[in-house]
Amino acid sequence: MKTTFDTQTIEINPSGDNYAVTLDGKTVSVQVLRADAKRGRMDLLIDGQRVSAHVSSDLAKRWVTVDGRTSMLTKTSGAKQGVRHDYAGGLIAPMPGQVRSVSVGVGDVVKKGQTLLTMEAMKMEIRIQALKDGVVKAMYVSQGQTVEREQILIEMEA
Amino acid sequence: MFNKILIANRGEIAIRIIRACRELGIQTVAVYSEADEDSMHVHLADEAVFLGDAAPKESYLNADKLIRAALDSKADAIHPGYGFLSENASFAAAVESAHLTFIGPSADSIRAMGDKAESKIAMKKAGVPTVPGLEGLESDDDFKKAAKEIGYPVLVKAAAGGGGKGMRVVSEEKELTEAIESARSEALNSFGDERLLIEKYLANAHHIEFQVFGDKHGNLVHLFERECSVQRRHQKIIEETPSPLLTPEIREQMGQAAVAAAKAVNYYNAGTVEFIFDPILSSFFFLEMNTRLQVEHPITELVAGIDLVQWQIRIAAGEKFPFAQNHFHQHGHAIECRVYAEDPANGFLPSTGRLLQFIEPRGPGIRVDSGFTVGSQVTHFYDPLLAKLIVHAENREVALQRMKTALQEFVVHGVVTNIDFMQAVLRHEDFANSRVSTRWVESALESGILLLENPQQAVGFHHLIAAALADVVFVSGKAQSAVSNETDPFNPWRKTDNYRV
Repeated sequence: MKTTFDTQTIEINPSGDNYAVTLDGKTVSVQVLRADAKRGRMDLLIDGQRVSAHVSSDLAKRWVTVDGRTSMLTKTSGAKQGVRHDYAGGLIAPMPGQVRSVSVGVGDVVKKGQTLLTMEAMKMEIRIQALKDGVVKAMYVSQGQTVEREQILIEMEA
Repeated sequence: MFNKILIANRGEIAIRIIRACRELGIQTVAVYSEADEDSMHVHLADEAVFLGDAAPKESYLNADKLIRAALDSKADAIHPGYGFLSENASFAAAVESAHLTFIGPSADSIRAMGDKAESKIAMKKAGVPTVPGLEGLESDDDFKKAAKEIGYPVLVKAAAGGGGKGMRVVSEEKELTEAIESARSEALNSFGDERLLIEKYLANAHHIEFQVFGDKHGNLVHLFERECSVQRRHQKIIEETPSPLLTPEIREQMGQAAVAAAKAVNYYNAGTVEFIFDPILSSFFFLEMNTRLQVEHPITELVAGIDLVQWQIRIAAGEKFPFAQNHFHQHGHAIECRVYAEDPANGFLPSTGRLLQFIEPRGPGIRVDSGFTVGSQVTHFYDPLLAKLIVHAENREVALQRMKTALQEFVVHGVVTNIDFMQAVLRHEDFANSRVSTRWVESALESGILLLENPQQAVGFHHLIAAALADVVFVSGKAQSAVSNETDPFNPWRKTDNYRV
């Protein structure tokens, strides 16, 4: 079976007691030495090398730690590849947090670099500024609202 | 001694203080906001009082609610921890007016050190070296004249400042007017006070601070230094003691200056005198004094061999500090790494979420001060500190190796952390050779001598295999471990089917 994480597709097939794992046209043999679903721990023998991993699952996200390095992967169906969270003309939240103030409204003419709203998270304040001169087309958030990272905040006329 | 102490804080520091109280046989009262209802500090304390909304001004910054909670629960003292109201002179005064004891210095000491311009004048008077500069200037012409005298680059900074706000580096005269204007407006917005001071900007400076400790009977000692130069956005990430840069002679001079600084404001309880240190000239200058317990106090505890929080409490209760300066020696080497919920690849911006995995390292010489566990929610309301990882060993080399190993064993899933980033810093030869100045992180990232891996992109081959196999092995129950065959309704691996191709 095939699984895609972000842009990389990996194929896993049972092969005797082991698995044949194919990535980038290369196939290696992987043996599962130990697996503990509750603790999210796996000890693997990958191509003869012992690898100890911690894996956690949160919907489509996978957090993996191997050798003290942690990666966050997002499981995607092949079709979703290449779709970005933001889009042209939209201003997105660079971090999760709360909208502290909104200084423009729909229809306002704004200058490049003008502060449109401010966000706050963990005692840090950041300003969301216009990337170019333009007109505010839509406001998706209001003061006090909690937003997620990459949520669209404001849309500008193209 | 006190019977009951209210801890006006949250997270790891609240837990640290609760433990000190328990060891001293003192009852504890925790306080909490809506976001912290299920936090560790609430469970650990003998009592817990709900303050209000998650927003700090409705909870941990609300002096009236805190004092009311202390009176209602019949506590006789308040420990402010660090941050929040710990350096608020009016709060300290209000606590004392309510016939409670503030576990910290006097309101007057806090006030005297709170203003950067005033404290600098007081330090000059006390003979403590300060960065060449001038206070109390108003017109642009005065600033220009002063800058010329000091020599560019100069720093203009808010007199009421802190945390890098209202601060501008100016490298030549034509930038000065604009820098003054923007620093003034930022200072006014952040602190309601637009006064600025100007001083020489030291480019490759290190941040070296001295712990001081005194009682209410006039005894005051220093407990050596902490090197805190690894910073991002003017905030510390890694601290160590002793500083490899100090000779015994300079350490002695700086220690004496720290004691003189504290004595100049009649200081008692725990405090920290921060210095800027120029490694080329081996000269040091007073920067500011933090009139509270510091985040990084554990490395001092390990190397100086003293429980600072317990002594804070005993001193506040009026006990005499029984140790003279010559009682203290530095034993071995200690390093602290601050594990933050932030994404170095996203400009060190905060990361929030529920902790899916939180495995703290253990072993000889390893201490973890944390306030989180698996299932804890990391919210955007408070600072991003998840844990302080502290190691102690016989010398710097062994301590560094111990820290590298401990960081590798620290597993946090659910929020992005700086664990991998700190490993990269510790591996760098500039850290090994103590060449990390306060601007190092920024310039190392700019110049590319320190490379950041985006946790979503720089995925190793082994990471991918483990992630893909987990979906197969954990879900199918094909695992060889006994527990994995149980039918666990909470097993997150069983809720993933809709994403499979």
